[in-house]
Amino acid sequence: MAKKVMKCLLYLLLFLSGFFIVTFTVYFLNLDMKLTAAIEPLLQKHYDRIRRDQHL
Amino acid sequence: MAVKKAKKMINPEKIRGDVRYGDLYKLGGKVRKRREWRGVKDTLYDYSRWLGIMFTLGKFVAVPRNVKGMLRYRWMANYLAVPMMVDRHTQGLRGEYLRMCHTQQDLIIIDVAKLLNNLFRGDRRIGNDKAFSDKVVLVDENEMTAVMMGFPTLKGLSRETPSTYVSVLLNQHAAEHYIDVAQEFGLAGDVCPMPEAEAGVSIDDDAPVLGKCAIQCNTTCDGSLLGNGVISRRLEKEDGIPVFQLPAPLRHREDDVQEYAAEEIRRAIRFIEEQTGEKWDWDYYFECARRVNIATKARNEWLDMNRTDYPQIFGSNLALYTETNYMAICGKVPEFEKADKKLMKLARKAYAKRKMAAPEYRHRAIVWGVQSHFYMDFLVWLLNCWGIVPLTDMLSMINTEMIAETDTPENREKAYYDMAWLTENMIMRNRTHGGYRVLLDELFEFVEMFNADMIILWEHITCKALDGMHGMFEDRARELGIPLVWVDHQLFDPRVVSRQGVRDQINTFMRTVMQEEPLDPSLEILEDGNSW
Amino acid sequence: MKDLKHLIFFEDLLQEANNSLIRQAQSEGRKCIGYMCENVPEPLLNLPGCFSARLRAPRTGSMEMGTYYLTSFLCEYSRAMLERALEGGFNFLDAMITPDGCSMLNRCVENMELLRTMGEGKEGFFFDYMEIPMKADYNGLDLYVLQCRNHILKPLQEHYGIDISDEAIRRAVAQHNRICELIRAIGDFRKGEHPVITGYEFNVLTLASYSAPKDLIEDRLAQTLEELKERAYDPKPWYKARVLVVGSEIDDTDFIRLVEESGAFVCADRFCYGSLPGRDPIVLTDEEDALTQICRQYMYRGECPRYMNTEKMDARRSYVDALAKEYHADGIIYQQMKFCDPWAYEKMLGSHILREEYGYPVLAVDRPYAIGSSGQMRTRVQAFMESIEIKKIHA
Repeated sequence: MAKKVMKCLLYLLLFLSGFFIVTFTVYFLNLDMKLTAAIEPLLQKHYDRIRRDQHL
Repeated sequence: MAVKKAKKMINPEKIRGDVRYGDLYKLGGKVRKRREWRGVKDTLYDYSRWLGIMFTLGKFVAVPRNVKGMLRYRWMANYLAVPMMVDRHTQGLRGEYLRMCHTQQDLIIIDVAKLLNNLFRGDRRIGNDKAFSDKVVLVDENEMTAVMMGFPTLKGLSRETPSTYVSVLLNQHAAEHYIDVAQEFGLAGDVCPMPEAEAGVSIDDDAPVLGKCAIQCNTTCDGSLLGNGVISRRLEKEDGIPVFQLPAPLRHREDDVQEYAAEEIRRAIRFIEEQTGEKWDWDYYFECARRVNIATKARNEWLDMNRTDYPQIFGSNLALYTETNYMAICGKVPEFEKADKKLMKLARKAYAKRKMAAPEYRHRAIVWGVQSHFYMDFLVWLLNCWGIVPLTDMLSMINTEMIAETDTPENREKAYYDMAWLTENMIMRNRTHGGYRVLLDELFEFVEMFNADMIILWEHITCKALDGMHGMFEDRARELGIPLVWVDHQLFDPRVVSRQGVRDQINTFMRTVMQEEPLDPSLEILEDGNSW
Repeated sequence: MKDLKHLIFFEDLLQEANNSLIRQAQSEGRKCIGYMCENVPEPLLNLPGCFSARLRAPRTGSMEMGTYYLTSFLCEYSRAMLERALEGGFNFLDAMITPDGCSMLNRCVENMELLRTMGEGKEGFFFDYMEIPMKADYNGLDLYVLQCRNHILKPLQEHYGIDISDEAIRRAVAQHNRICELIRAIGDFRKGEHPVITGYEFNVLTLASYSAPKDLIEDRLAQTLEELKERAYDPKPWYKARVLVVGSEIDDTDFIRLVEESGAFVCADRFCYGSLPGRDPIVLTDEEDALTQICRQYMYRGECPRYMNTEKMDARRSYVDALAKEYHADGIIYQQMKFCDPWAYEKMLGSHILREEYGYPVLAVDRPYAIGSSGQMRTRVQAFMESIEIKKIHA
């Protein structure tokens, strides 16, 4: 039982470590912003294609 | 009179981590190379708050109608830059300062996410929740929402806040498209770009359509008042949403306008009651009034601290939080009360420890005029690059009086005058209108009061109410021997004066007039013309 | 057409703010009250013992000092006024009353006060500022009445002992109405197919009625009216099209002259300092005090774009439509002074609505304060005339 708990804790620790390493890398290297900066021009093209009832 | 000089103060505590912030900028890039290293403890704290922001954004995107909204409205693309806005405002901050800034910014993000969620829920094009939409009262972006303080079951939502106001905070170029649209339809290019962009959103058919009725106001200026005419035309004549125009007197310090102002508040409330079928709830009103007073007390205390050698909540943190808390929240959101108390605790703690936010404080400045909205973090730059402490700004110098917060028959009557007073003293307009006393004379009173040795005077070039005092500001500053730096900008449009153009005006002044060298030379010239 | 007998006299009056009739009235001991905005009820400044002068800055040249104090982003009207004040050109005034109408005018007058441009050697001189309503309704009326009482009548009484009784106000209205009726009767000649007065001539007469003591021009206006009844028109129309000019402040007769030299006949004038609705008589009854009635009529007839309620906004455009019909306009010129925020929006909306919804040919232009003989403006008006002519041919 204790072994099982230890194993669970180990997995949890591994998961948390993995989560931390990945997210901290994303955070520190600003990868989230770099990704969204790449997405933005695509969105702008999409908005340009939308038909709008443009008037006063 | 001799030119006034503040004493130079050196921070005894070493700033941990990065100190050359300009190195984080990427040449011509939209985003920065990496996030700031603030020492282990503060970096981990900042990281944890970043995770929190990611969670807020994730929760928002998990709702399908919000994704639909994102794909429908052009201005939603700016929300991709939310984490970067926080990074910009937390630049160089450590310890309590970092925590205070996050407390404010993160709460504002949550509040805006809720606003967007509500807008899309009621929007006829997106969520089309009619029952919810019937509980919505649309309000202006620059509107004191005091008339909503007695309607607990209604939502006062502003479409312009997320489409233009917040968008430009997130992305300096956000309003350009809408400004161009308005001008294509014949609007002159010399009006204030804020109402111009808001009118542009309406013309471009890019505003969510929802609400049982709308309240428009004459704050903040002639342009804002007239821009509303463009918006109400579509609202009333096409969308079938009745509009009540709420005028707040311009000469708001005069006794003989207060009855008029209070009566307009009464009428606005009656209008909302008639349109929505809801009744004004005095219990809720006084609960909100109590929270307004808590916010006022907190702000007064922060301003008192800023008069000392150890200011704590100042610069863009003071400005942005005050704008949100005073105008849009106006006591209606309990989370802001908690934030006020937390901020107060942090500020007192930092003050007791005589904390400083930068390696050196060289000048104490009052920032006056209307800030460049596309560069709200300019005040952070001012501190980091030149050691100029922006003690307070014009937009934060609003109501300092307590309003009635206990439910008595007399206070119920006084409440109309209190709401009118808050509305009349709405951010910016309480200074740009009301005669030269509130704009010109009081600036120099604040210079004395805050023991400032410099005035940073934003010249929002198409703000006619401010431009109209240009010469008098100069004459008065010269008379009193206070260095005054003009910083020209066009509020929402960095194509007219870029961020570097804004910085250059300070750089030139500091080098040539003040004969000083920057604290952080890496920040003097930045390649952020393309940046969010 | 034969020249009007008194036209040169009226033109001379417009050559300077402190004209001969103002000097004459002041020499008789009357006080001259300056104002700049149509939202100040004129009869209240024309009580026995005082008279109004709506300020202008004729022959404006350099505006350097005005631009220094107000920057180049404020409208040229406000800058020209401040410049003239700094030059001492308004030092003849005995008081200056201004509403917080638009930011620019308000700042202009505040600068006049702060820079001590007026009042030298005038013991009773004062500046006063008033709030004016932004919506036309009962609450707005209450405010208007209170503000006129506190910021016009009381100071006039306190500083100069002016009689501000109801009876005195009624007398001032009666005199005001006599001028209005004369101007409107003269203006009615513009409605016909063969107008016996040009838009320029009418503009001169109207402007004079704002710029000089009313009692001192009444005779000449009456004579001009009689003269027009007999005036022979040119057999061949001298214009290509009839236009209604709408928009912000015009106190420069050169603008109307330029439009007419470009082939138009300005058949109606819906702008500040114009006659529509500025020269509508004020109808008083005995059932209510005169002050309230004056304010009500000023508020409801006011065409200032700062009125923000929907009814007023819609009414501004339907009023233009009604005038175009009444004066048989072929087209409409929406003009705004450059940098004027209120009219920038009103021009955009008004020109769009009158064109798209009412079907009029509309020209929308912005212009400087002193237009002189602007080639650019001439070209635009000429092109507009041609477009109307082409439209007529196609019709």
